[in-house]
Amino acid sequence: MSRGVPLHEGQLLARSLNVSRSTHLVVASLAAAVAANAAAAIQLIGPFGQAALLAVIFVTVALGTSAISSDIYARSSQTIHNLRSIGASSRSLSGAVFFSLIGYGVAGSAVGAGLGAALGIALGGQGGALSALLAVLGVILASSAAAAAGVYAGGRRTWSN
Amino acid sequence: MEQLGILQRSESSTQGKYSVEVKHVSKSYGETEIYTDLHFQLLKGTFVALVGPIGSGKTTLLNMFAGLERPSSGTILVMGQDITRMTMDGLGVFRANTIGLVPQVQTLIPELTVRENVELPLHFARVDNENRQRKVDHVLEKVGIRGESKRVVSTLSVGEKQMVSFARAMVNEPPILLLDEPTEALDPLMAEVILGLLRGDNLTLGRTIFVTTHDRRVTDLAKKTLRVKKKIP
Repeated sequence: MSRGVPLHEGQLLARSLNVSRSTHLVVASLAAAVAANAAAAIQLIGPFGQAALLAVIFVTVALGTSAISSDIYARSSQTIHNLRSIGASSRSLSGAVFFSLIGYGVAGSAVGAGLGAALGIALGGQGGALSALLAVLGVILASSAAAAAGVYAGGRRTWSN
Repeated sequence: MEQLGILQRSESSTQGKYSVEVKHVSKSYGETEIYTDLHFQLLKGTFVALVGPIGSGKTTLLNMFAGLERPSSGTILVMGQDITRMTMDGLGVFRANTIGLVPQVQTLIPELTVRENVELPLHFARVDNENRQRKVDHVLEKVGIRGESKRVVSTLSVGEKQMVSFARAMVNEPPILLLDEPTEALDPLMAEVILGLLRGDNLTLGRTIFVTTHDRRVTDLAKKTLRVKKKIP
């Protein structure tokens, strides 16, 4: 008995739940927009401002991904019932949604953070390349953790109903 | 609905003897009482047909055996395990390994191919890839739809979908098969194939089969026939 959600199973489930290219695009573009803004702004403010900004990123991205995952589950409630009738668990269903979204979220936030870092430097951000790189990493980490928390929360809300 | 046939009256639950044990089960929807103090056991390897008019609660009973509906009171043991106390996830794992279900309403995933649909329960049962492919090939061959394995389910006829449902229910060789009006959507030839498979699985593999039906051919095949009456309010 292996743990986790194997790749092939995750792909099958994601297709079953109609997690489509447009869903991937929504996640990637939102992540890019948030990360670009944050990576630029984080270079222009002090440590307390940076911490506050990362907290804001975490909360807003978590809320967004929670809403997206809840929407996927709500649109596919009959499919979920059908999958459960043949043995699907909430862990396998949540895992499928998470793994089908997280790659696009990380890719979007990486691209956005890169653009934002360049913009921040151009706008006179202090600290140079190392500081910009740390800022980018911080933004990517905060948004990835938020996406994971959001998908988990969306699933919890669905399974507890 | 206490008139439901009693298969075994033994009060002592002999471990390993029964596939399903229904203990003082009642089921109601709001004010409407469907079953009252239902109490019986199904021996392992039995083939039981449940007949009765529409709305008499046949599907409800089958769904309770599958853990898809919970009784209002009482206990149901399936293969010795109390499914009325299992969590949703616990039931999922249990179903994946123990129960093959062919519901009356199609529950296949229309976007996936025949092969992918049949493979799904094996993923949930954590069967490794090599055994998954072997089992899927075997059951598709057995049901006679191997040639359709790459077709997307939404392009199949109702009868073909029913055959895929059979294949999916049987793919993990569960000890219990639950079937809700299985021959209803099938042409005579397809129905013969399925009846032959059920007969073979019951006789040679000792699989417990519980089926709701209006089809005389199915009741003729069954070892026991239970009759439910519609409760008059």
